[in-house]
Amino acid sequence: MLDGTLLLRRQTVPGWLRGACYTGGLVFGLGLSAVLLVSMGIAPSDLFQEFVIQTFMTYQGLGQTVTAATPLVLVGLGTALAMRVRFWNIGIEGQLWCGAMAATWVAINDIGPESLRIPLMMAAAMIAGLLWIAIPLILKLWWSVSEVISTLLLGSIAFFWVQHMLFGAWRDTTTGFATSPSFDAAERLSLLGWEQVHGGIWIALTAVLVCTWLTGVSRLGLQAKAVGENMRAAKAAGLPVLTTIAVFVLGSGALCGLAGAVITAGTEYRLSQSLGQGYLFSGIVVAFLARANPLAVLVVAFALGGITTTGGVLKVFYGVSEAVVLMAQGIVLLSVLAAQLFADYRLSERRLA
Amino acid sequence: MSDTFLAWLTVLPGYTLPLLLASLGLMISERAGVLNLCPEGFMAVGAMTGALAVLAGYSPAVAILCGILAGTGLSLLFGLATVVFRADHTLAGLATVALGLGITGVLGRPYVQKPFDGLTRLSETSWGEGLPRLLGQQNLLLPISLILVLAVWYWIFRRPSGLSLRAVGEDPAAADVVGIDVQLTQLGAVLASGALGGLAGAYLSVASAHVWVEGMVAGRGWVAVAIVIFAGWRPRGVLFGAILFGGAEAAMLRLQTQGVEFPLYLGAMLPYALTLLVFCIACARRGRDNGAPAALGRVYLRQDKH
Amino acid sequence: MTHRSLNDASPTPQQTGAGEAPALLLKGIDKAFDGKVALSKAGFRLAWGEVHALVGENGAGKSTIMNVATGVYGPDAGEIIVDGRDVPLRSPGDAVDAGIGMVHQHFRLVGRFTVAENVALALHGAGRRVTLAEAARLVSEKSAELGFGLDPNAVIGRISVAEQQRAEIVKVLLLGARILILDEPTAVLTGDEARALLTLVRQLSRSGHAVALITHKLQEVSDHCDRITVMRQGCTVMDAVAMEETPVDTIIREAFGEVREAPRRQMAAPGAELLRIDHLSLTQDTPVLDDVSLCLRAGEILGIAGVGGNGQSELVACLNGVLRPDSGRIALSGEDLAKASPAHRRRAGLRIIPADRFDSAMARGLTLAENLALTGLADGRFGPWWRLSRRKMKQAAAKSLTAFNVLGGTPSTPAALLSGGNAQKVLLARELAAGTKVVVAHSPARGLDLRSARAVQDLLAEAVADGAACLLISEDLDEIMRMCSAVSVLNRGRLSAPLTGSDLTPNRLGELMVGHA
Repeated sequence: MLDGTLLLRRQTVPGWLRGACYTGGLVFGLGLSAVLLVSMGIAPSDLFQEFVIQTFMTYQGLGQTVTAATPLVLVGLGTALAMRVRFWNIGIEGQLWCGAMAATWVAINDIGPESLRIPLMMAAAMIAGLLWIAIPLILKLWWSVSEVISTLLLGSIAFFWVQHMLFGAWRDTTTGFATSPSFDAAERLSLLGWEQVHGGIWIALTAVLVCTWLTGVSRLGLQAKAVGENMRAAKAAGLPVLTTIAVFVLGSGALCGLAGAVITAGTEYRLSQSLGQGYLFSGIVVAFLARANPLAVLVVAFALGGITTTGGVLKVFYGVSEAVVLMAQGIVLLSVLAAQLFADYRLSERRLA
Repeated sequence: MSDTFLAWLTVLPGYTLPLLLASLGLMISERAGVLNLCPEGFMAVGAMTGALAVLAGYSPAVAILCGILAGTGLSLLFGLATVVFRADHTLAGLATVALGLGITGVLGRPYVQKPFDGLTRLSETSWGEGLPRLLGQQNLLLPISLILVLAVWYWIFRRPSGLSLRAVGEDPAAADVVGIDVQLTQLGAVLASGALGGLAGAYLSVASAHVWVEGMVAGRGWVAVAIVIFAGWRPRGVLFGAILFGGAEAAMLRLQTQGVEFPLYLGAMLPYALTLLVFCIACARRGRDNGAPAALGRVYLRQDKH
Repeated sequence: MTHRSLNDASPTPQQTGAGEAPALLLKGIDKAFDGKVALSKAGFRLAWGEVHALVGENGAGKSTIMNVATGVYGPDAGEIIVDGRDVPLRSPGDAVDAGIGMVHQHFRLVGRFTVAENVALALHGAGRRVTLAEAARLVSEKSAELGFGLDPNAVIGRISVAEQQRAEIVKVLLLGARILILDEPTAVLTGDEARALLTLVRQLSRSGHAVALITHKLQEVSDHCDRITVMRQGCTVMDAVAMEETPVDTIIREAFGEVREAPRRQMAAPGAELLRIDHLSLTQDTPVLDDVSLCLRAGEILGIAGVGGNGQSELVACLNGVLRPDSGRIALSGEDLAKASPAHRRRAGLRIIPADRFDSAMARGLTLAENLALTGLADGRFGPWWRLSRRKMKQAAAKSLTAFNVLGGTPSTPAALLSGGNAQKVLLARELAAGTKVVVAHSPARGLDLRSARAVQDLLAEAVADGAACLLISEDLDEIMRMCSAVSVLNRGRLSAPLTGSDLTPNRLGELMVGHA
């Protein structure tokens, strides 16, 4: 059964084949998700209407999609940076929560002059995310503690910390709900006058540019590529391996922290228990499907933003839980991963008399 | 024995068993070399399916069986992706968790926060006071789980098929040349992890909370992953780790009900922080040789050069 | 080491029974790995009761055809006939059932298991239920029968390589193998151990087993084998010829294409002392390097001979700076480098060519230009830290590729696409760039075809002629004898004093290599 003799590893994978398998996996995954939705009673024409027309082709829908994509770009970039140096940052949500908390702290304590409030919030969020990922980084470098576990656990810990603040010191006394008080106008990212699209989009685009420069133009980018491809060779060639890993991993944490601030200051205007949910998987999906390439992150995050928007619409008008977005991400990721089999290996037929 | 301690002991299994069962299954999978981050997803579908079955009128035993089947079903997808399609274990594991959490959200939303009777305790009061009462407060899954730990230990370390399982995780090429089906062994191990993960989830909803809420697994699946690592992939260590985490969680709750003043959510955070701490100490002490199966997470292909 | 000459009579060949079906017959086997042809119409005939040598260069297809015979590789075409029966080998398990057993070059034993556990595992795989105690008893019995003295409860990872090999043989025999394939079994053994093994192999053949011996040691072939098959570039070029009818130079010509030229030795031009290693020691559970000292002068190639696994890789890693020795001094032109980083050593002029270029020197996924640029990033020759000039990298790479005659790749080609020889030349181009004082080359020609091997060796010799010094660490005595004027031997982490002049003979080196000195 499952005979391994049939599989041969390809020495080199042609670009078209890799592309075809990737596309095939993507189409299969999206198709399967669509079929599941249809089987839940959503008419195919409705699905097409909501997902393709409303989400990407109307002024209003496109605005929502862009809004949803903004933080996705940031977490996607963050995950991609860590992936480049083979560091599994699975604590995206933790860094995001820390960033959101730091921004909230600056906002509700009115730190600094009002004109500098937004930059301060963003800086605080980046520092918070950076510090939160510094823990697993140091643990890994000093005691070779697996970052998969430490980042995950720190994610849970950060979430409890948020709850601690929301049910305690930061609870909104006017509503009694477990959210922080609403931010003042100076603590909100300005709206661009197109639906809910806010200034965070400039932050995200800047981040894309910075990451493109870092990975593609700077010396660190090539060093990171060498570290990711072959750590031993990079060490033997005398590259500053530790510095390279540290820059990329800390940058990853900072970007995820920034995403937290952009969500709080751009769309929610307060800290809530739900704003960071699901970004772990979104970040992984975006970075993986974009092959850790910053420009591709932009595209994938935009597409995923569309799916998120559609999920929201399906929830309101068709009564389907927005968890369907999470499910679709799982399906697509799994099917793209599995489809790589056909690129990486050759199926040889045994011709034995 | 003080009352507080007895009360803690009484609630301990409720916090320990889900972790114990999930880690035990995870250990089987990783002993066969399949790096497995899925327990969070297995537990989620197990918990939801179990709760739905009870709400649909089935007996708790049947409901738990449904939970096991749901976990196994999800693990089959993961197993196909990693073992047959040779996908990256870490990413496939995360995708499986996303899928599991997504499914529970989509299918289970209407059944959130609906309490039910669930699995009954062995005896409420009739067994008297003290230790007998403590035992009476437990349900049948406690002895079953403890027997499972022993059985898994015996199977992995004493049975020939356990030897094959470990060989596949240590050196698949060596197992392959003597005629052991590497892929079938790994797939079986993954299914076992799904079944036990599903059982752990069903325990959470059907036997422990008697209600289902979305996200009730709350990162316990990740803790299970940590437990298996610091347990050095050994059943005894898994038992110890599960008791440590579950014990800390139970202690927090006991202290709160006894009116000890401390912040609720910081208390809830403590078991996770403790897990991380113990995990780090274990890693730092053991260094490179942490007892991990040598081929853990590697894709095996017979016709590669080995 | 035996000292019988190659033309001495070999042991009497067994009556191989004319008309009797051969034990193993492989006919017209084709095997390609994703377009890369490994076997083309290759064949092998093994008779009952004989010891049959399979000889050829690295990469000639010897191991591949035997992996086909044991069901590990699926052939693209051809027939496998075992004892007259057509046997479709769909998996290694089928081969075990057919009575074929192989002792791989890298033993197929689980390192954390005991000998008995490994045997129990194998028997379980073959469908036989045994308890551990029974397995241990079987091991003891078989081990006593073969005169091995194996402890069934010893953990594989903690016993010597020779003992591991015995465990593997016991395992294969307990699985019921009557056709035994041994892949380079003596490569990891000392002279005494090798002799004992070859005697055992002869006994097994006398008791009716068929034994195939993959080797590249012609001495063993002529002393211990009945017939020989020679493979070259995936084809069988000499098919089951009786040993006594075959002069050794014919074998050499068939297997290696040409008779090797006489040793060429350049005179050591006495230059300034460049590299000095004093009392270098390293312990990893057991002593790996034991008080290693050496001195290397400009214009000199010092050879370090020795069987692999005696501390060579660790010595290279210590020199590179990726492994920290427990004690000792490494000085380059008088500057102490023992605690210096790899980057610092490189700047000082110490360059390394490791044995496994794609494991510890180059990255497959990077282009040639990127691989070549890696070591030059720090000094800013490809632009400042914030802007790396791809154009400059490609220009420099194009120059290097031309200068070192690298074929089959442009600066934008991923390194993975190059053949071994060309990849090695790229590595040399990088490491022999300006400022090289000492180049440490570990098996630089291993796995290369003859032409590339010569090219690589010439490049090293040129660098030395230009005033550098070279430390050549190699298992290949031909290479060492041809390249070096002085040779030391690394054996169990100890380095012998260098042999020079008339002391430098293959026999003397051989004695040092197996520890009889």
